[in-house]
Amino acid sequence: MSRAVAERRTLPAPSGPGMAATVVVLAILGAGVWAASDLGINVATLVDSVGNAADFARRMFPLDFPSAGELLRLCGTTLAIVVSATLLSVLLSVPAAVLAAGNTTPNAAARVGSRAAIVLARAVPDVVLAIVFIRVFGLGSMAGVLAMGLHSVGMVGKLYADAVEQIDEGPRTAVRAGGAGRSQELASGVLPQVLPAFVSTALHRFDINLRVSVLLGFVGVDGLGFAIASAFRELDYRRGMALAFVVLVLCVLAELLSGAIRRALTRAPLSRARPAPGRISPPWTPSRVRRNVYGLVAALVVLASLWGAELSPAGFVDGLSRLGTTLGLFWPPETGGILPDLLTALWVTVKIALAATLLGAVLALPIGVLAARNVAPSPRVGAVFRGLIVLIRGIPELVLAVVFVVLTGLGEVAGTLALAVGAVGLLGKLVADSLEEVDERVENAVRATGATRWQVFASATVPQAAPAFVGHVLYQLDVNIRSATLLGIVGAGGIGFYLQNASRVLEFGVVTTVLLLVFALAMAVELIAVWLRRVAG
Amino acid sequence: MHDVVTFQRVSKRFGATLALDEVSLSVPEGQIAVLLGLSGSGKSTLLRHVDGLQRASAGSVSVLGTDLATASGARLRALRRRVGFVFQQFHLVGALTVLENVCTGALGTLRGPRLGLFTYPKRVRQEALGHLDRVGLAEQAFQRADTLSGGQQQRVAIARALLQRPEILLADEPVASLDPESAGQVMGLLREISAEQNLTVLCSLHQVDLALSWGDRVVGLRSGRVVLDRQAAGLGRDEAMAVYSAVARVPAAA
Ligand SMILES: Nc1ncnc2c1ncn2[C@@H]1O[C@H](COP(=O)(O)OP(=O)(O)OP(=O)(O)O)[C@@H](O)[C@H]1O
Ligand SMILES: [Mg+2]
Repeated sequence: MSRAVAERRTLPAPSGPGMAATVVVLAILGAGVWAASDLGINVATLVDSVGNAADFARRMFPLDFPSAGELLRLCGTTLAIVVSATLLSVLLSVPAAVLAAGNTTPNAAARVGSRAAIVLARAVPDVVLAIVFIRVFGLGSMAGVLAMGLHSVGMVGKLYADAVEQIDEGPRTAVRAGGAGRSQELASGVLPQVLPAFVSTALHRFDINLRVSVLLGFVGVDGLGFAIASAFRELDYRRGMALAFVVLVLCVLAELLSGAIRRALTRAPLSRARPAPGRISPPWTPSRVRRNVYGLVAALVVLASLWGAELSPAGFVDGLSRLGTTLGLFWPPETGGILPDLLTALWVTVKIALAATLLGAVLALPIGVLAARNVAPSPRVGAVFRGLIVLIRGIPELVLAVVFVVLTGLGEVAGTLALAVGAVGLLGKLVADSLEEVDERVENAVRATGATRWQVFASATVPQAAPAFVGHVLYQLDVNIRSATLLGIVGAGGIGFYLQNASRVLEFGVVTTVLLLVFALAMAVELIAVWLRRVAG
Repeated sequence: MHDVVTFQRVSKRFGATLALDEVSLSVPEGQIAVLLGLSGSGKSTLLRHVDGLQRASAGSVSVLGTDLATASGARLRALRRRVGFVFQQFHLVGALTVLENVCTGALGTLRGPRLGLFTYPKRVRQEALGHLDRVGLAEQAFQRADTLSGGQQQRVAIARALLQRPEILLADEPVASLDPESAGQVMGLLREISAEQNLTVLCSLHQVDLALSWGDRVVGLRSGRVVLDRQAAGLGRDEAMAVYSAVARVPAAA
């Protein structure tokens, strides 16, 4: 017996899923190293761009802000478009979700149809929709509202459907048992349960759309983005960067505001006030007053936005009549004789995404570790790094790309660095969150053996969080590929350049080809990700 | 007195499980019939058949003159309006106020979707408040339903069912989450209302003593079969307890 124990192996035989996960991550990181060196991103380039910083500062400072009136108009237009677009996506997503959710759908056909529409909305990038709609409705707000509104249904509709599927069926059954009809059942049994999730998702999408609106400015949608694009086209970096700074401030403010609203929603408002005998409407407690004020403010913001976005129903109807002919312009797909160039650019896009994922992971890991409450050396350090992550998340990728274009010149290096820095915002947060979510009892058990801080980290914290890292890196790669396809629009390398160029010179068949290529790439990544998740468990 | 609920050889299958096995049962108007039986014996399933929330695999269910095998759409809703249901897990909407939860009981008589107390007519709110008062919760009317204790939520659910002004009340273990004293109060309340309004009550219970003291009639279920069906008066405690024994000692009821 004792002999047998002595002869047993003290290291386990390599296991299937664990091995596969390790191989996958190593492969992605290896590909990242190769891509980075192939794109010419190395210490020398980085040193170079640091050297450029002085030059950059000279070209950028002093920032040149437009007049207060003009600035207000630009911010107002952007916010109006973004609010209207988000509202549109909510209005479309609610019925889409009811049809798509397994528990509320009237029949299988409606369910499949609605799910397909949601997937399609997500698959077509908002920039492409904007290019189409600008042809149809002209420059201005309408195209932006429709493009962002429709594309957002891909995310909002999906999350709404998930929320509906997760409800407690009990209240709904009870309402049905009282003889309520279908619409009453939805309003009284389902809606109150999903309302907080609905509002929180809408706010989240508002944040995202605010960032996206900058990009749409580069293809002609009115607002801050449009002004930034015009400034850069005229090489007026002082004005361009000033406006980019304004966008950053708006994004951070929006993020703070929506965060506060979301937190307020999850706190159950308690009304313990004793009603006067026989009164049949709730008393005006401070929390009820507050809720009503919020509601009123929200309604005013929406109304002001609809008015500010200058959406004219006549223009809409007029445009719709042209929709058929315009879509005809985009079909059939054409290569414009530049197919090899397109494929090369697509390949560059893949390399940008890979390299940016590697660099992003290298940056995000230490930052995420230092931001995790249970690992950070002191609460102060943890708070500082959390703050850094939030700040980076606040910067729209396009603004980062624009900064790096100015810093390192046009091309893929700018795109890679922009995505890498942007990845810190997402990946750093995911790393910190998954470290904080580990089971504390395991950590304490190891700590109780007298282990040092590093030993606890290595043998209790990391093993628990590690499986999540694999998923996060894959997710970041997926996000990076989607973003990388668009970077070219601001001159930061890859296939996006051709998207922008073809639409400008009115070669809409080429736009379709680019779109199909991008779509195929996204699908391929999605399939690989699904497969990897299965293999790596 | 005529029967308001009639089950004729009703069976209900869930895959391999036979939840109801040839159940035949008639409940006359105004009676309080108590269902007893082990967990999984089919009590909830039987009650759900009365409200058309589930449909029989075989046999026929007729409630207030409506054949539930064919009723659907508006006809089914019209029937449900006349049948109140108090669920085992209360099924309140936690995010809404207590009063609004009670008001949802009136949806069957209102047109169109409602959300928010102010969307209910004043008379509905007044009546709802009256029912809340009756179950002793008028003070909590404007609290969120999920801030109440289990027993309080159960009483809100009862108030909601009463707002329907039902002719039949189905109650699935209405006192399961109550302390013995509140349990007695709730059963007393049901009895009182039943007597006042000639309300028929079908109620499942786990407490034999409550069944004997508050019910007119006791129906015992085991594995979906009716194994006991007697007037409560004169039924011995041991005879009723036999429903819970593993082997059938009580001969199947006639
Ligand atoms: N929707 C369903 N799908 C599948 N099986 C079900 C379903 N509802 C009930 N059953 C099964 O039918 C049988 C009877 O269940 P039922 O809920 O009616 O029992 P019960 O007497 O109410 O039990 P309890 O006292 O625990 O509430 C059980 O075996 C249960 O597992
Ligand atoms: Mg039950």
